[in-house]
Amino acid sequence: MNPLPIDPKNLPLVNGDPFQGNLAQILLMVILLGAVAYLLLQHGLIKSKMMAWAGAGLFAFAALMAFTSIPMQLDSLVRMCFSILAVAGGIAFITTREPVHAALGFATAVLSSCGVMFMQSAYFIAAATMIVYAGATIIIFLFVLMFAQKAQLQWYDVQLTNPVIATVVATSLLMAIAWSVSESEEILPVKLDLTRPYSLAEPGPSPGMVMPPVPEASMTQDQLNAFVPAKTSGLGRSMFTDYLLAIELAGTVLLVATLGAIVLAQKPERDLS
Amino acid sequence: MSHSEVQNLLLLGGILFAIGLIGFLTRRSLILMFLSLETMLSGVSLNLIVFSKFHQNYQGQILAVMVLTISACEAAIALAMVVSLYRRKATLDVQAWDDLSETILPKSTAGDYQDLEHEEHYPKLSPAGLDPLDRPVPSSMQASLDQDQKTSPIVSEVNQRA
Repeated sequence: MNPLPIDPKNLPLVNGDPFQGNLAQILLMVILLGAVAYLLLQHGLIKSKMMAWAGAGLFAFAALMAFTSIPMQLDSLVRMCFSILAVAGGIAFITTREPVHAALGFATAVLSSCGVMFMQSAYFIAAATMIVYAGATIIIFLFVLMFAQKAQLQWYDVQLTNPVIATVVATSLLMAIAWSVSESEEILPVKLDLTRPYSLAEPGPSPGMVMPPVPEASMTQDQLNAFVPAKTSGLGRSMFTDYLLAIELAGTVLLVATLGAIVLAQKPERDLS
Repeated sequence: MSHSEVQNLLLLGGILFAIGLIGFLTRRSLILMFLSLETMLSGVSLNLIVFSKFHQNYQGQILAVMVLTISACEAAIALAMVVSLYRRKATLDVQAWDDLSETILPKSTAGDYQDLEHEEHYPKLSPAGLDPLDRPVPSSMQASLDQDQKTSPIVSEVNQRA
């Protein structure tokens, strides 16, 4: 059901500026170098702290170069800061040996990507991700680690399984992503699509409540821009009208998972006699 | 929202996914593998949110809510499983559970599996019947070779038939 009286073939254009892809070669080189450095690190070929600091300095230099190449606007600067923090946290997550340090790197990466989500005006998801990951997960992780871990480093934290295969797989995947993203003319211009094809809700007056306005074909571009999703209330309205069944199913899955976690974490009866 | 911004953020999501993939394939601690999974899911939901902003509708954000829900469920179940597995074998190493996999596959790192420090807890059967050390067998049930003593009626009947 399409409640909107707009012809889907005649939608207003939102973003039509052309895009030139020029990042591909540099990006592929950076990804390849990062993979080689990770392998060298895992095989113990980078031993001295001097080389690690040199790598960190190289990373900082690349970050500085990235800063100079982006347009000097505040939001791009903040976005770049969050992105660099996220990548640095992820690198710390896979390179450190101590599980607590790895957990801190994970928290850095997730919190920074939450900052990026905030800047994409996904406020609810950013807050929920912060609560779920950085709050609950990290705290439970540290709790589990406290009772599970001995004081010294465990041997299974030091010896990894198949770093070569993992690096090859992940690097080829990331290079494919980078190549396809940096391809020019690959990201098409976008039209404002306000159709709701799966909606069960009918817009219109309802007894006892005032329904929010819906976009119409006769509106100007400025009036249509008011419907661009930038509010959490709009997300809530979309959740509980267009995707009501899916949201209810998600709540059911959460309930089942809670029950399963309670059953699994119970202490088994040791003495039956 | 310019195209270069979309490009940068898609790349960031891809990098997070690749880091999580490397971590999941290489780490051996159960908890760190689980955190790698969460990193991958974070990259995916970032991707969805960027496309939601780019296309200017809520469908991507709804999908990200779904991803978040499933990852919260997975976090609860995985941590409960880690707790119960640790209770069983007293190690967080995932290769301690290699015998659950197919036996025809060669082990990735053979020989570095150490013996368990704790003893395993097997289920105990509840005792059946009477323990002769605890309770004396009633005299009517006792068998004896001595003819002079008072024998049980079954034994005396057998003796009479013989």
